[in-house]
Amino acid sequence: MKADYNESIPNNVNLGDDRRLLRALERWQPAYIQWWRDMGPVESTDLQVYLRTAISVDTDGWAHFDHVRMPDYRWGIFLAEPEPDRTIGFGAHKGEPVWTDIPGEYRTELRRLIVTQGDTEPASVEQQRQLGRTAPSLYDLRNLYQVNVEEGRHLWAMVYLLHAFFGRDGREEADEMLERHAGDPDRPRILQAFNEQTNDWLSFFMFTYFQDRDGKFQLAALAESGFDPLSRTCRFMLTEEAHHMFVGETGVMRILQRTCELMREHDTADVRPYGGINLETLQKWINFHYSICLDLFGSERSTNAANYFSMGLKGRYQEAKLDDDHKLDGEQIEIPKVTADGIDHETIAALTAMNLKLRQDYTKDSQRGLNRFNKMIAAHDIDFVLTLPDEKFNRGIGIFSEVHASPDGTLLTGEVWEKGKREWLPTADDHAYVNSLMVPVTEPGKMAGWIAPPKRGIHGQPIDFEYVLFH
Amino acid sequence: MFRTEGEADLVAACDTLLADHPDNWLVREITLYLRRTLKRIDVSSRSLIALIEPGSCFTGTLLELALAADRSYMLDGTFEGANTPPATLRPTAMNFGPLPMCNGLTRLQTRFLGDDDALDAIAAETGNELEALNAEELGLVTFTPDDIDWDDEVRLAIEARAAFSPDALTGMEASLRFPGPETIESKIFARLSAWQNWIFQRPNAVGEGGALELYGTGKQPQFDRKRV
Repeated sequence: MKADYNESIPNNVNLGDDRRLLRALERWQPAYIQWWRDMGPVESTDLQVYLRTAISVDTDGWAHFDHVRMPDYRWGIFLAEPEPDRTIGFGAHKGEPVWTDIPGEYRTELRRLIVTQGDTEPASVEQQRQLGRTAPSLYDLRNLYQVNVEEGRHLWAMVYLLHAFFGRDGREEADEMLERHAGDPDRPRILQAFNEQTNDWLSFFMFTYFQDRDGKFQLAALAESGFDPLSRTCRFMLTEEAHHMFVGETGVMRILQRTCELMREHDTADVRPYGGINLETLQKWINFHYSICLDLFGSERSTNAANYFSMGLKGRYQEAKLDDDHKLDGEQIEIPKVTADGIDHETIAALTAMNLKLRQDYTKDSQRGLNRFNKMIAAHDIDFVLTLPDEKFNRGIGIFSEVHASPDGTLLTGEVWEKGKREWLPTADDHAYVNSLMVPVTEPGKMAGWIAPPKRGIHGQPIDFEYVLFH
Repeated sequence: MFRTEGEADLVAACDTLLADHPDNWLVREITLYLRRTLKRIDVSSRSLIALIEPGSCFTGTLLELALAADRSYMLDGTFEGANTPPATLRPTAMNFGPLPMCNGLTRLQTRFLGDDDALDAIAAETGNELEALNAEELGLVTFTPDDIDWDDEVRLAIEARAAFSPDALTGMEASLRFPGPETIESKIFARLSAWQNWIFQRPNAVGEGGALELYGTGKQPQFDRKRV
């Protein structure tokens, strides 16, 4: 049993020699495989999928391509190579050597950070499990499964940390990650955006554009951590997360391209009769996904986030590039405040506004992709601009959860909001229409009518390559 | 940090002698000294942790040390490669009366306040050797890591404890050590005294870098770690 773990679980953590990890994995690995069969992609067990597997962290090994059956996918445990003499980059311990073991005083906080991050990974697999039935092409089906197995691997990465450093508590937390399920009324996932359904491919592309970008920012902030194994794990995960955002951005771009082509061809803004997705519909999906993703960053003002920062556990995005003392002693920052007369501002300690800072960086990054989308629209001589809704729009967490606002940020009464919602967020009709387009296309190289083909295939293969073999 | 080492049978024999001759002047003297020593441990302002490992003898009178501790960690099984049998706990007559705390109750009565069934279950084990999982089930120990987890769990427990405000810990521990009825003695020496003298008026709470002063700012308090 033990001998074949190093073979079946590619790793660079000396798994074969680590009694504690082996003992924990002996129990957890079968439970994980069972979870994948019960809650992972539906009807996928017998498919051979052209997948990328990471078998080591060096340039040759991190992207190994082959057709594999997904239950046999080799989920591995990888940490980015350690940086020699790395020191903590921020907070009260700035300048001290990084921790290679958990500092006892921060155990609870670290466990909470790792569990919250880890919980999102299997959640997204659960949310997307039905999508395999309606893929718009084999290329897209393969990308979906690639994203799914890598989210699975990200769960492994977080479970590795729990197993290796948190003793019995860690083993129990790892078990619970497989027991909570997305949308389960009794045992839901920790974060609300990971309990929403992702039942159509437009939502999937939006999810990989917006939710996975939230993931990128959370991972980037954790990659700054003074707890070195967490930092190294997250650095390696970021290389995979980049592909998920690529799937999202190119997916939305291809839908847009198809919509614009149909608009030119038929000289109309309403392409539904021709099997396309209207720009207004895309804007509604953006409004929904972006606004629930802002909630993922938590309250603008957060003592927990401040503690994580000053303890040296979770930094800011690209901490080293920021031009300040990285301690924020006495720094002040202005944040919005809801008053009876509308939105005002107040000054608070910058330390307590960590979530807001990360969210603002996320907004900038999200806007960059939208600029590319808008270029595509403009290139077709169409007068339409996709926008990110205002931070006050459709919020469930933080300062703006107590007000109603339109996508341009105008404050509204509850009544006006209820009416406007139909204009701004996907309605049952919109969902019904988008769902009507979800018809599987399984012939190599063919695309569904609502999406343009990709510019190129995966890993140098042609677009009509058999990315998924049905046996 | 309490560790013991020796023959559990000898401790049990000693306890039998003390319990069987309570009217003998020397036995009474010895028992009273033991009682006073253990009471002094109860009112210590320091955190108490008992480590129950193979080769130890937490039996009867010495079991009181583990019961007095704020946390007791008992190794489940043995250390890898060692041939010492697993650690055991053994209740004797000394755990059921002769060594009361300053609240007038035995340490077991204090631990299982209002839970006579739990007390009876332990009384039924008098003279028996209890291994880790059994002891955990009976509520006698806090945690029973095995040898793979032991070193790390013990290190983390100590580091986590050392990171708290020492004054706040004194207050919390005093509350947990002396639940239930107050006696004149406990009013002077136990939790009320700890709360009044330690918690809200010391620099660790209300000083410039104190926890109450910095609460909500995200800054980490600076504690003076001297506990006495």
